[in-house]
Amino acid sequence: MMKTPLITVFKQIGILSRLNQLSITGNRRRLSDSGAGGVDHDIKSRFYEPEILTLLKKLTRPDLQKIFRKRKLGLRLEPPEYKFMTTEQLEQERKKADARAAEKLQMPPVLPPRKEIDEVISEDPNLAGFERSNIVFTDITFGKSDVNRLIVIRETNGRLRKANWDERFRMNQVYFPAEGRKMNPPSLFKQENMLRLCEEQRYEFLLDLACIQFEPDDPEYLRITETVYDSIDEAQAYELLRSTRHYGPLMFHLVTNRSIDNVLVENLQTDRLEDAVWAISLYHLLHPESKSKSTELIPGEELQFIKSYIETDSKKRGLLEMSLQTYLNTREVQVQRQQ
Amino acid sequence: MLSLRCLPAAQKIFSHCLNAQTASLKIGSRCLATINSEINQKKTAFPTTTNIVHQQIRFTSFFNKLTGEQLWKGVTSVSNAGKKRGRGKGNRKKFAKNLNRGQVIGVGKANIIWPGLTTPVIRGKELVERQKLPEDPDREARLIKIRNEMGRFRPLKLSPIERGWSGSKMPGRSIGPPDPLHGEMWEGFDTKVLELKTVTCMTGNLGRTRRQSAFVVTGNKQGLCGIGLAKAIDPKAAMKTAKNKAAQNLLFVERYEGHTVIHDFFTQFGHTKIFVTKMPEGYGLVCHRAIRTVCEVIGITDLYAKVEGSTNVKNVVKAFLIGLMKQKSHEQLADETGLNVVEFRQETEFYPEVVAAPIVSRDDVKEVPDYKQYCFDNKVVLKKKKPPPFYTKEPGWLYHLVKMENARNHDKVRKQLRFEYGFLRSFLYDKYPECRAGPVKKEESES
Repeated sequence: MMKTPLITVFKQIGILSRLNQLSITGNRRRLSDSGAGGVDHDIKSRFYEPEILTLLKKLTRPDLQKIFRKRKLGLRLEPPEYKFMTTEQLEQERKKADARAAEKLQMPPVLPPRKEIDEVISEDPNLAGFERSNIVFTDITFGKSDVNRLIVIRETNGRLRKANWDERFRMNQVYFPAEGRKMNPPSLFKQENMLRLCEEQRYEFLLDLACIQFEPDDPEYLRITETVYDSIDEAQAYELLRSTRHYGPLMFHLVTNRSIDNVLVENLQTDRLEDAVWAISLYHLLHPESKSKSTELIPGEELQFIKSYIETDSKKRGLLEMSLQTYLNTREVQVQRQQ
Repeated sequence: MLSLRCLPAAQKIFSHCLNAQTASLKIGSRCLATINSEINQKKTAFPTTTNIVHQQIRFTSFFNKLTGEQLWKGVTSVSNAGKKRGRGKGNRKKFAKNLNRGQVIGVGKANIIWPGLTTPVIRGKELVERQKLPEDPDREARLIKIRNEMGRFRPLKLSPIERGWSGSKMPGRSIGPPDPLHGEMWEGFDTKVLELKTVTCMTGNLGRTRRQSAFVVTGNKQGLCGIGLAKAIDPKAAMKTAKNKAAQNLLFVERYEGHTVIHDFFTQFGHTKIFVTKMPEGYGLVCHRAIRTVCEVIGITDLYAKVEGSTNVKNVVKAFLIGLMKQKSHEQLADETGLNVVEFRQETEFYPEVVAAPIVSRDDVKEVPDYKQYCFDNKVVLKKKKPPPFYTKEPGWLYHLVKMENARNHDKVRKQLRFEYGFLRSFLYDKYPECRAGPVKKEESES
């Protein structure tokens, strides 16, 4: 027996008029016109290369204390639960917690912005004027995902076309509402409101909320995340995102934009030589044409590796050299103290 | 019919019409205004034709014979027999009113300025003269209002903070720190009464003798606490002795992060069984009032306790204190069982945190005991199922549920609409602007 797809018809004048407006005014959900930056989109599709992913995961520096820190969950406080455990049971429990930590650190994907859907399936002039409103057909068969679900629209002039992204979002949200996702995006994503939140350094909050509200290839998502990343880079507040799922995308954004100098300064100031080396290797991977690529990383010769980057590719050479010198000085003092 | 109610009016009439001899008007203990009908008949000037009725007017009564105090007593007091029946108590009790309230000497119904009494004699360089001002029409009403307000509301004796478990009774109330002894000032200590009752015993020559028994708890809110029991004829003396005894009887109680018990425990004294549960900060004290009072004094702020069996105050307190004393630290629990004590907190997303590891760990344990069961000494709390509310059996309840089924999200939608647009609007609003809640504006309706 053949399985027939379950299709619902959505016909509402209010929604229709909204949809009509949408098609006129373009993407209604876009809160600001400042779109994604001028980085070419090919480099973004390299995010899932295994080498790059490994480096990004290493750079995240998972810290269980921070991942499982005390949070205000908005729930009623419960008394802590205690258990007697043998060492073996404890190890098993810890492994489970590690798995949960890995899940919590899963990076949101970095994707190039999606292309507009502009596909007409058929034109049927006989149907023109038959209805006073557009009709939306949605396939709500079990097992379809929000991405591959068939959603088509019969317009009043008889044209049958595929729904655009905005209409898809609405229909998906109507039939399969995602928790925490609003039909209209919260106004805190407006540029001026976001900048205020960035001043308060509530980066993680903003990024988490953007992950819930938007799809990762939504131009709006790209605008929000990039604004936040740039704000973090400006404030050098990398520590706030370290050991969260957003650190990888942050580093990826900075490297693709060739602005890792501030990160390197912060790494050297906080005694993170290894992180600096990883950041530069990531830079080499994503920008093979860079001049310092020829310097290979030899274990024990990390300083040379960093120096070659500073000399050839850095934009803030003076500042970086100074921080490197301070790093070396403090290290010497430490070595002397130990002796 | 002529009725003579007012003395000055009667005088006026008779002096005008009759001789002074014919009408006898006496002002005194017995006043009787008599009009002789015979004289009336002789003197034709008086226009009456019918018989004039005698009316007695008494110008003396208990009102002007008794003092104010005696009069008020008559109104407010209750007879002995009534007192025994409990009359004149509580809300129904009457109070004497001070009728002089609101009145000032020199100020009266006639609004007169009395220099030297109500005003200074000389104002500036002028001599103030006695002067009659127009009458104040509101004065009478104002005085009556002040009178009516009196005797209605009885202010509470205690402020809500000072109040005990019930009304102005002593149990639950604070009686201050113990008396200084050998230079010890008991700083930070506070004592609360748990029980104050009359106890009697029969003696050979006095018969039934009554004494007051006071049971109190004292503590410094930092873990120290002590209980004391004393008897005396006077309740104050009993409480004082008990308080000082309690101070000599102090014990120290370990607390978890200064706000709750270390772990759940079961404790028993006599027929009183208590199950105590550790609670997070901000939960409060949900327990028997005696346990709550003891906790307040010790410095425990969050706890749940269920009392099963007898709720005799002394036994409840003793059982609770024994339970507190028998608490074990997490290390002790770990050493006893040879197992790790692991904490899982909701706010840290249940990350296993080892709070105590045993010195000698045993991995060959066949059955790992359940922590809660271990703490409760294998006793199980009786958890009664809460019966459904009575109204769920009514036929209207089903109707209500059906009705609410449709409207279950209306409030959320209204909230969202108000948030988004600032007013309630239909989904048709874009096309038809009149599709909104509330009155339509004039301009809109005209256009």
